[in-house]
Amino acid sequence: MKNKIKIFRAMHNLTQEHLAQAIGVNRQTILAIEKEKYIPSLDLAFRISRYFGVNVEEIFIFDEKTPVLVSHE
Amino acid sequence: MKKNTFYLISGCIALALLLIFWYSVELHTPVLIEIAFIIGIALVYLAQRRVTGVINDERDVKIGEQAMMRTMQVFWVVFCTFSIGAVMQILYVPTFPRPPSGSPPPDLLGPRMIGYIQLGLLCLMIFLYVGFRIYYARKYGDFETDEE
Repeated sequence: MKNKIKIFRAMHNLTQEHLAQAIGVNRQTILAIEKEKYIPSLDLAFRISRYFGVNVEEIFIFDEKTPVLVSHE
Repeated sequence: MKKNTFYLISGCIALALLLIFWYSVELHTPVLIEIAFIIGIALVYLAQRRVTGVINDERDVKIGEQAMMRTMQVFWVVFCTFSIGAVMQILYVPTFPRPPSGSPPPDLLGPRMIGYIQLGLLCLMIFLYVGFRIYYARKYGDFETDEE
């Protein structure tokens, strides 16, 4: 699952810390999502996209090649 | 309560438990350390709930869940294998071919040694959990660095 959080953060002039505080997670979680080390839950994905005032699909890009159980490995 | 205060309290509880364990051994009363252990763990849980300024988000929960699941997957096999062997020894299950009448099967492990090994296996569980936790923390980007 690719994402554009870093781009949206730059557009809104936000640090990882500020975004993390705004949506109630740790800064490390934002960093892990940006680096594609962690796939966020639907709830968190919606919270991030609502924060930037866009649809989920505009921030998160579904990769069809990614196995369904990748997060349970 | 700050996180460091919580670690300090946990350390004090661990030290107190160690002293009670020693005292319990001296008095030959296992009930003392058993009750103290339950109270100690309850106190740690209570103190943990009062820690402020720490966000436990979904990624932290996932890391903890995955680490514990893998730990149990390994631990229960090792623990059950040993326990089955120990119970067989305690129940005096006859061996095949049967030994000559009158001579008991060789005593591989005494009850004392069984207790020590079980305690060692529980310590192994803690090491396994820490190891898996570090592995999953690394996998889910805990040690990633950024330019910020």
